Amino acid sequence: MPRDSERPRHTGRLLRLGALLAGIAVALSFPSMAPSPYELTVGIAILNFAVLSTSWNFVGGFTGYISLGHGAFAGLGAYATGLLVTKGELPSFVALFVSAALVAVLAIPVGYAALRVRGASFVIVSIALVLIMLLVFQSWASFTGGSRGLVVPRPFPGKLRSEHHEIFYFLFLGLLALALLAWWIIDRSRFGMGLKAIREDEDKAQSLGTPTYTYKLVVFVVSAAFTALAGGLYGLWFGDLDPVFQFSILSGAYMVLMALLGGVRHLYGPLLGAVVVGYGLEYSKLEYGDTPLHLVFAGLLLGVVVMFMPDGVIPAVTGLVARVLGTGETSIREVTAAELRDERDEREADVRPDHRPDGKRPDGKREVRQ
Amino acid sequence: MSADEGEQSLATVGLTKTFGGVAALDGATVSFRHGRVNALIGPNGSGKTTFFNCVTGMIRPDAGRTTYRGRDITARPPHRIARAGIGRSFQLCRVFPRMTVLDNLLVAVRPPNLLAQLAGARKREETERARYWLTRMGIDHLERAEARNLSWGQQKLLELAGVLMSEPELILLDEPAGGVNPALIDRICDLVRELNAEGRTFLIVEHNMDLVMSLSDHVVVFDRGRPIAEGPPSVIQSDERVLEAYLGV
Amino acid sequence: MPSASLVFQSIVLGVLLGGLYALLAAGLTLYFGVMRVVMIAHSAFLILAAYLAWYAHRETGVDPLLTLLVTVPLFFVAGVAMQRLLLTRLRPATLTMMSVLLTFSVALVIEGLLGYAFSGTQRRIRLGYSSASLEFFGARVAVVKLIAFGLAAAALLGLYLLMRHSRFGQALRATIQHREAAALVGIDTDRIAGYGFGLGLATAAVGGTALSLDTTIYPSLHWHWIGPLMAIIVVGGLGSVPGAAIAAMTLGLTQSLLQLELSTTWAQTVFYVALFATLAVRPQGFFGGRLAQRF
Repeated sequence: MPRDSERPRHTGRLLRLGALLAGIAVALSFPSMAPSPYELTVGIAILNFAVLSTSWNFVGGFTGYISLGHGAFAGLGAYATGLLVTKGELPSFVALFVSAALVAVLAIPVGYAALRVRGASFVIVSIALVLIMLLVFQSWASFTGGSRGLVVPRPFPGKLRSEHHEIFYFLFLGLLALALLAWWIIDRSRFGMGLKAIREDEDKAQSLGTPTYTYKLVVFVVSAAFTALAGGLYGLWFGDLDPVFQFSILSGAYMVLMALLGGVRHLYGPLLGAVVVGYGLEYSKLEYGDTPLHLVFAGLLLGVVVMFMPDGVIPAVTGLVARVLGTGETSIREVTAAELRDERDEREADVRPDHRPDGKRPDGKREVRQ
Repeated sequence: MSADEGEQSLATVGLTKTFGGVAALDGATVSFRHGRVNALIGPNGSGKTTFFNCVTGMIRPDAGRTTYRGRDITARPPHRIARAGIGRSFQLCRVFPRMTVLDNLLVAVRPPNLLAQLAGARKREETERARYWLTRMGIDHLERAEARNLSWGQQKLLELAGVLMSEPELILLDEPAGGVNPALIDRICDLVRELNAEGRTFLIVEHNMDLVMSLSDHVVVFDRGRPIAEGPPSVIQSDERVLEAYLGV
Repeated sequence: MPSASLVFQSIVLGVLLGGLYALLAAGLTLYFGVMRVVMIAHSAFLILAAYLAWYAHRETGVDPLLTLLVTVPLFFVAGVAMQRLLLTRLRPATLTMMSVLLTFSVALVIEGLLGYAFSGTQRRIRLGYSSASLEFFGARVAVVKLIAFGLAAAALLGLYLLMRHSRFGQALRATIQHREAAALVGIDTDRIAGYGFGLGLATAAVGGTALSLDTTIYPSLHWHWIGPLMAIIVVGGLGSVPGAAIAAMTLGLTQSLLQLELSTTWAQTVFYVALFATLAVRPQGFFGGRLAQRF
């Protein structure tokens, strides 16, 4: 590596660390700064979205398989937790983890069917999953409460409403940290490398020895478990479950929208998307109430993201910043310069089959064409 | 390499695959010896690429068996076949476009156990090994570039480096000279010779006859999904059946 | 045990329902064939057509069937426009996944706009012949159901004849089977793909009108249709029109028969059971060719 590229990398790392610490500080102090319990509930809703879309991003971001049915795992996590508390009489948080484990087990046969073939069938299965769960939980009223809903007892009965919110704010924050940590570990691991290779070219990954099917299945199950944890925690917090909202295609679509908007290749992409979309949702709910126009805006936003920035805002913004700061690997003129250099070097390399032993270009420049 | 020169490497018996009633492979029985540079030639649509796809597990044959060094590998999943020591390139060169050149190679690293799956992907030792192959290909200066930004020729070299990173004993190359300038063809030929001298066996599908005749030790000719002739290049060049298959006379 | 005449009635109703499923699944198959696109918005357009028929009937009193004269060409043009303006602009490498999201977003927009324009209230067309029914061999079948089936069958037959016997159909089939090869023999595959998309959407117009005759409609109804339809095309084998038609008939019939013993909602699960069973046992579907094996 040429020396001159080390310095920006170093400052970049410092900047990132600073931003991370600032973010943590803001997140931790938010409950004490929130002017009313309402703001706190908005914060909780956003955190819930952030955990959900980060969980979704285990599959969507690493492997590129788009699931529109993750709402089903969240709903199952919520219902399983609720049912284990009410019918199984388990302590709330034991029920939460047991339900996540159950959902993970259920995700195995689902993934088995969905991941055997590529792409299209996966999406179809993911949508079908939500629709089945909706049918089952509405029809099986004697067990699930059906459309009348299921009331989940509060885990902390003695607490005031505002204390309750505050506790759940930190629980969601903790879960988010856990999900981000897991994503980060996978991202830098060999497992993650294999998953990303699947996203790029599944045949090729297989031909290099990556057990693609197992990889996809494992990450699918991990994703389902985190989604179920988020759903279960939501159930404990909100305390009232209705199949129509728990098993809604829309909740899965929001996860996709948030992750895509922020950027699926980035650790904080889904979080960023959740803050933007989640805040927008809560704000419009407050201002305009529940109108069908929500669907229109969500649809339009999703369409715009898919059409114009499928990599999300993070790459779009970093690209812009890089251009403004003049790090300049993206400017048009340099591209052509690099291309010319490339071709020249290739000719040289072709003439002299023995490569340069130090592997460096004569001009010592690194070349990246974008 | 543990196998001896001349021992059987890849072999198929009666390999058959039909697509919508058309037999792409029609009972292909063929075997290749270890340590050689083998070539597989034949007119378009004679089943060469289907043969590659069947033996590497990319598609499941309708009938027939494949063995590699005596072990049955028929219809094993592709990653198992790769781990058994067979590496391959694709007809139109395939790399992971949005991964860096270095990461393109690191994908091929096989973690020794389950826990090692979660270890960092850019361990020093493996990175060094990747750099070794990149250096041999002459593209090490590009290691941090995204693969999609490489030129076609560089991508071809990168693909080969990725295959080598998975430490295959047998390397299947699907049209290594396709769309490549003459100077780079020479470079690829040299690489194949060097790697062969180091003990790697090759099986090459190629349309460039000059390359096939100068590079290979053994040539198998496919027509309509099965071998019709085989032998050293000098013999194949004058074989009537081959001329007939190619020229239709 | 239900009586024989009841079973017979269920079979008749199952066939009638299967016909509509077959037409709509054929549309989905067309999109998938020409573009490798899973068109989530198909059933949203279906409901849109039903709403248009209902609205035209409410405002002017015309027979809903007459709206076909407007909706079919309109949807055809919309389909071509959607293919040309939206789908062709997606990156080929991620087309399958991104097109799902794009068509999903179209479905959301349609649902939202329907809800905004007509509210979430359930709507139903009342016609002079709405309550008329025919009786044969002890089975009572509503006339509107027969009309709906006739419409679907006619459209499907027309589609079949077009695909088999016209020059355009030949080009369309060639494009579906091997796009590059079709382009090599001089077919303008982009244009053909656009028309294929338009045809697919036209089936939604016909289906929607048929649906409006005897079904209560509401904006989110399309979710109840897209699930079964997608199950049908997977069971039939993605990209195979005859496969989709056979799967549609079989599953429609099964659903209808199951309703004798189970509630309507439980009977609907047959589609999802079939979907999972197919993917677990024979992921390429039962009639799919080479194409289905890759998706």
